[in-house]
Amino acid sequence: MATAAETTPKWSRRRALTWRRVGRGAVPYGLIFPVVAALGAILAYPIYSLVRLSFQKYGLFELINHHGVGVGLHNFGSVLHDSVFWHTLVRTIVFTVANVGLTMLIGTSLALLLVRVSAWVRILVTAGLVLVWSMPQVVAVQVWIWLTNSQNGVVNYVLTQLHLGDYIEHNWYVTPFSQLAMVTTLIVWGALPFVAITIYAALSQVPAELIEAAEIDGARSWNVFRDVTMPVIRPVLLILTSLSILWDFGVFTQPYLLIGQGHIVPSNYLMGIYLFEQGYVKTDFGRGAAISILMLAIIAVMSVFYVRKMVRLGDVQ
Amino acid sequence: MTRRHAGRALWNTVGVAVFVVMVFPVFWMVSTAFKTDDQINSFAPTWFSTTPTIRHFTEAIHRPFFWADVKNSVIIVSVTVVIAMALAFLAAVALAKYRFTGRKLFIVLMIGVQMLPAAGLIIPLYVLLARYHQVNTLTGVIVTYLTFALPFSVWTLRGFILGIPKDLEEAAMVDGSTRLGAFVRILLPLVAPGLVATSIFTFITSWNEYIFARVLLNDQSKQTLTLWLSFYLGTGRNTDYGGLMAASTLTAIPVVIFFLLVQRRIAFGLTAGAVRG
Amino acid sequence: MRARVFVAAMLAAALGVVAATASASSGRAQANKLTVWLQVDAQNGWPDIVAAATQQFQQQNPGWTVDVQYQQWTDHLQKFDATIAGSDTPDVIEMGNTEMTKYMAAGAFSDLTGSKSKFENSGTWLAGLAKSGMYGGKVYGVPYYAGSRVITYRTDLFKKAGVTKPPTSLAQFQADLVKVGAQQKGVKGFSPLYVGGEDWYTALSFVFDYGGSIATTHAGKWVGTLNSPQSVAGLTAFKNFFDATQSKATATLDGSAPFPYTVFSQGLTAANYGPAWYTCCTGAKYKASTAQFVMPSHTPGKAMPGFLGGSDLAVPAQSNSKAQAIQWLADFTSTANERALEVKGNIPNATNLLGDSVNERAAARSWFIPQAKHWVDVENGNILKTMLSQILTGQLSVKQAATVASQNIAQTLNES
Repeated sequence: MATAAETTPKWSRRRALTWRRVGRGAVPYGLIFPVVAALGAILAYPIYSLVRLSFQKYGLFELINHHGVGVGLHNFGSVLHDSVFWHTLVRTIVFTVANVGLTMLIGTSLALLLVRVSAWVRILVTAGLVLVWSMPQVVAVQVWIWLTNSQNGVVNYVLTQLHLGDYIEHNWYVTPFSQLAMVTTLIVWGALPFVAITIYAALSQVPAELIEAAEIDGARSWNVFRDVTMPVIRPVLLILTSLSILWDFGVFTQPYLLIGQGHIVPSNYLMGIYLFEQGYVKTDFGRGAAISILMLAIIAVMSVFYVRKMVRLGDVQ
Repeated sequence: MTRRHAGRALWNTVGVAVFVVMVFPVFWMVSTAFKTDDQINSFAPTWFSTTPTIRHFTEAIHRPFFWADVKNSVIIVSVTVVIAMALAFLAAVALAKYRFTGRKLFIVLMIGVQMLPAAGLIIPLYVLLARYHQVNTLTGVIVTYLTFALPFSVWTLRGFILGIPKDLEEAAMVDGSTRLGAFVRILLPLVAPGLVATSIFTFITSWNEYIFARVLLNDQSKQTLTLWLSFYLGTGRNTDYGGLMAASTLTAIPVVIFFLLVQRRIAFGLTAGAVRG
Repeated sequence: MRARVFVAAMLAAALGVVAATASASSGRAQANKLTVWLQVDAQNGWPDIVAAATQQFQQQNPGWTVDVQYQQWTDHLQKFDATIAGSDTPDVIEMGNTEMTKYMAAGAFSDLTGSKSKFENSGTWLAGLAKSGMYGGKVYGVPYYAGSRVITYRTDLFKKAGVTKPPTSLAQFQADLVKVGAQQKGVKGFSPLYVGGEDWYTALSFVFDYGGSIATTHAGKWVGTLNSPQSVAGLTAFKNFFDATQSKATATLDGSAPFPYTVFSQGLTAANYGPAWYTCCTGAKYKASTAQFVMPSHTPGKAMPGFLGGSDLAVPAQSNSKAQAIQWLADFTSTANERALEVKGNIPNATNLLGDSVNERAAARSWFIPQAKHWVDVENGNILKTMLSQILTGQLSVKQAATVASQNIAQTLNES
């Protein structure tokens, strides 16, 4: 397929190659078509179905008869009037901020650490991160339950041996705060490998010459980081932050399994769990759909800052 | 020079400490896999079994459907990763390097799809796949995984491509050839670290994915290794912890192998192919 | 270069699809195939019984295959919901007896009343199990097997404390446990009895023993009765019993971490109250000194009512092979198979098959949950567990906690 570039004379071909020029033609559409087609084929119906469900009363009885009853905005109204929804929302926002903050801070520090260590330590730490990353969530939860077991958990044992207090039989899951704190440690631990390795990969795009030149000029490491490194890794940092917000806001598996279904109560609900309990466990699918859409809207609002930056980033350069 | 060495030694110590803390739960999992049942349940923790046993491992391998589920997992994940990387890279190039109508919409779509709460989509997705008889098939699962892998991969790769310093790129674009060909040939090596990170992520997420595989695959002979693993916990009776830890260690091995195969591409410093002027 | 990349991508995709479809079945519903969903308990405990039933069925129906798919308790209902939505349900499904009412009320199952005579011993089905499979006077579930609760104890520790035979009343049991506790005072972390404080199966046994109940209907609406005088007496007796015989740390545990039998295997308790199969996991060290007896009531000589857990088997209404499903069910719950289940330590589904094991004697007096379609929401809302932890930690008085719980239960059960 001949593009405009190939048929134009030599002197203008060079100009056509600078990417500032608008790339006309079907090429970009051809490049994104497979992705659009795949997503459209799979998600179009489920999304339409989700929206339609949110306007229906759809419980177990309706599920069996494949027929819902239209109730307009009733589902949305009932959710927005539920105080549990608002408390859960606030709790989840605080939880998300804590998790994302910790993940990004520690993850960036780890990536910077990886740059500074000798090769053998780098391989060791990276291998360790991949081992952590490769552990299935279900298994990680089981190990965590064991480690923090009130009766014979290692954490209690070690803390007591270190004479930091008598932690024998200490139950780490009594208050919602301590339950969610335990969940936070698990989630941050599991999220660090991806964040650290991705940022480290981005750091590898920073030209070493530039850093050396800046250091030779006497710039302090914080300035070097801010002026040389950050611009290069900023897109990746923005992406990771926006993705972390998304994932941590809707997290379900870790808190559900770690706190345990038996101790999930409205005072320690997170949005993902609230959706599951209201929509699936109570088989009120219409309500679950309404909550899904509300969650989508809230997440969109929470990440609009990052998304806008990301979209603009393509234009600035 | 000495100061640099001392600095490096300090960082190395910190690095090792980080390793120990991060890896401890993994260590616990692996060491438990070798413990006897009495040591596992003992009141005082047994750090390291002095009488290790491989009984849990041999029992795990002989559990029904182990090898069948390994095969299924490997097929599903490899196909997902290969297709996702290929399609996502091309789409990311389009997003980062071309201006076209609908570009912004497509970008927003990529992140918008990721904002959908997966839990809400389970049943409608099941209904859709059931209509085309793709329930209980590997293809149905692959297609589902692609749906979640593609937006993420496109979004992340776009970031990596955008992060490539301008002069690196323009310096490398010397020859005339089709614009797309130039982009692919030049960007691919520069973006290799990003591709590797994204492919590892896609591999691991698909390998460990549970919810959709659970709902879509009913026959144990067609299930993935992660589902096979869950059968250690699903019974209302006692849990064979030694077996679970041994089985988990086994399921983690392919991931580690995959990582070892691709990790060399995350090179630090200037990658090959750039021309300095 | 671009062509190469494209070709490579397409090749990979094509290879992938070929590989995937080569190993996958068409997924199409095959003619003459019966899909059965049983829980993993059957896969682990009695796969031979399942195989026997399948073999018998296939002899009676040549050309038919039976696909038994094993499910897990944690999510089998969500999976069932998905198959209902996709018109893809199994032909036979095992349901927990507490899970039945909600699905029966919604019309998920076929009416088996007309085929009841096809099932052996249906005239003498265990009352508790049979009731859980009935709704509106019709039969929707066939009783499969049951399990009651017993005391698993250390004979050597009891003997050391001077107790030579199992107690016959609650007061005597409490005194015995206190003796054992005094004997083992030096052992750190020892608890004479180890049951999760929030284990409501235990606490509610006390409630029913004193004549109380959880909820009753009054003029078509549910009323919570945990705050009735008898229920409060039962809960108070439970609290006193708990304080005298257990370590404080178990007040907020529900018995899922650690498992009671794990504590037993560590030698840190002399007794557990739980299902009879606990003996599987009490550790090799104490195998010779482990035995069971029926939990005594506060009335001397009687057994405390135990929670009768169990499973029913139902035929989803959307099944296209109802006749065959019923036949498989009949084969699976035959007298021979039920006796085989009994040998494995379960309680069979009919009174004429009952033997004399501790498990079966304990089932003589049992209680069950209210037959309300929203009962599962009470369980999932952890109303009872919250009440118990409030009582045992002293956060609320017995009457206060019971009143709050009763109100919550009534509200949940009366939801439309």
